[in-house]
Amino acid sequence: MATSSFLAPAPVVRRVRGYFAAVNRGTGTPVLFDPAEMGGFALDSPPAPWVSLGWIKNFTRKAGSRTAPILTGIPAAVLEQARETLDAQVGFQFLSWTKLTMALATGSQHMNLLAPAAGAAAVIQSGATATLLPLLAADAAKFSAGRIVAVDVDYAGQTGFVGSPVSGAYVKAALTDVDYVRRVTFNVATVASVATTGLAGLTLTDALPGGVPAAGMKVQALTGFVDREGGSFFQEWSALFVMEGGQGERVFFHYPRLQALGSAVEVASSLAKNGTLERVLLGGEFRALPVTDPLDGERVVCYRSFLPAGKALI
Amino acid sequence: MQNAKDSFYVALRTRLAAINPERTILLRSAVRPGIVVEEAEAPFAQLPADVFVLRWLGLGVDQDLPSTMVAEEVEVLYSTLGTQSFGGLDRGRALSEMDEELVAMLTPFWTPKLNYTATPATVMLTKVFWDEPVFGQATALRDRLSRTARVVVYSYQEAGE
Repeated sequence: MATSSFLAPAPVVRRVRGYFAAVNRGTGTPVLFDPAEMGGFALDSPPAPWVSLGWIKNFTRKAGSRTAPILTGIPAAVLEQARETLDAQVGFQFLSWTKLTMALATGSQHMNLLAPAAGAAAVIQSGATATLLPLLAADAAKFSAGRIVAVDVDYAGQTGFVGSPVSGAYVKAALTDVDYVRRVTFNVATVASVATTGLAGLTLTDALPGGVPAAGMKVQALTGFVDREGGSFFQEWSALFVMEGGQGERVFFHYPRLQALGSAVEVASSLAKNGTLERVLLGGEFRALPVTDPLDGERVVCYRSFLPAGKALI
Repeated sequence: MQNAKDSFYVALRTRLAAINPERTILLRSAVRPGIVVEEAEAPFAQLPADVFVLRWLGLGVDQDLPSTMVAEEVEVLYSTLGTQSFGGLDRGRALSEMDEELVAMLTPFWTPKLNYTATPATVMLTKVFWDEPVFGQATALRDRLSRTARVVVYSYQEAGE
């Protein structure tokens, strides 16, 4: 008789993949991942609002929760246990430098280096999409293909969390920099082509993280990114890590709220055993913050899910 | 173990046919994708050029698991003399092309395990998976440029195997 199942050994994985989703800092709402509903997604195209962070290296998890015994009787014996503290940490290295990975790995606020030569931000005309930014011809001529641009509103004295679609900073007191929101926004993309005749504007290589630009948003060229040691802002994000085993099984680690635990660090990884070239990886250490599980009201910091291989005995 | 070896070979053969349909070999009056298993063919006096040859080498078994894991090392040998139209001066480019094809053939790093002794082949319960290839140095012998790559192929023994 043919067998219809097999005894699956522990998963054998090659690497770990990371995914990001923005926490709504204003309302304190993280993104929850439901593996029962979305666990089978293609790793290269995660379901919205998750964004791939690429493959990561040296992924480690550490639970810092402490339990304490409750003793009763003479002589005292453990009656039950109580959880005194709830804590968990995650560490890994990003294998790429992008706006997102750099911003998450840094321990503080992450900013865009706005290009000084490009002058004032250009007003986005009507008809914009997530990949097409119509501009006046004169404004479009200030940009060139390959340029990175930031798209967001002018700073108008607001306080609190600013930036879209991810809160890039918390403004404690009103500032005077009109470009401040575009300086901290995560809504960045690379220009694929520039049209200065006909329908003038910018075509982007990828869709803006924030989707279709809202009314009043402007586009501004930037040259790179910068972070600082210090400050009081902590970036917060919802994280998902996936290990895929050789039999197709999957292990998910979901942290609804993660904040950077340390400062910005780089890890050098030699390309060859006796060579001098080194790959510089962004190192990240993160602390998990608690959420209330809507299922039963318990406070938790992370979830570990396992989707077994097909036909595996459980 | 043979099912894993067969599945690995057929997976690479199928992928090669899609990656480069023009890489073929005429063997026993049949035109096939340009990849053969050395131990399943008549002995070669010299390995054919512009064809991938799989040579099975080491074997390891881990029985301390719910299902026995088998690790089989395969060496992929390939060589080229370039093309006649360029007088063989393109042999370096031809070898690079084969390097790229091998990397593409090995991705993704798994394939379902099938039993090819049955007709039609039957899908088994587990998958065959492998590690990234370790490429050796290119070697030149007169006008022939060759390279080998080693891959460790893993599988779980199923009931009846």
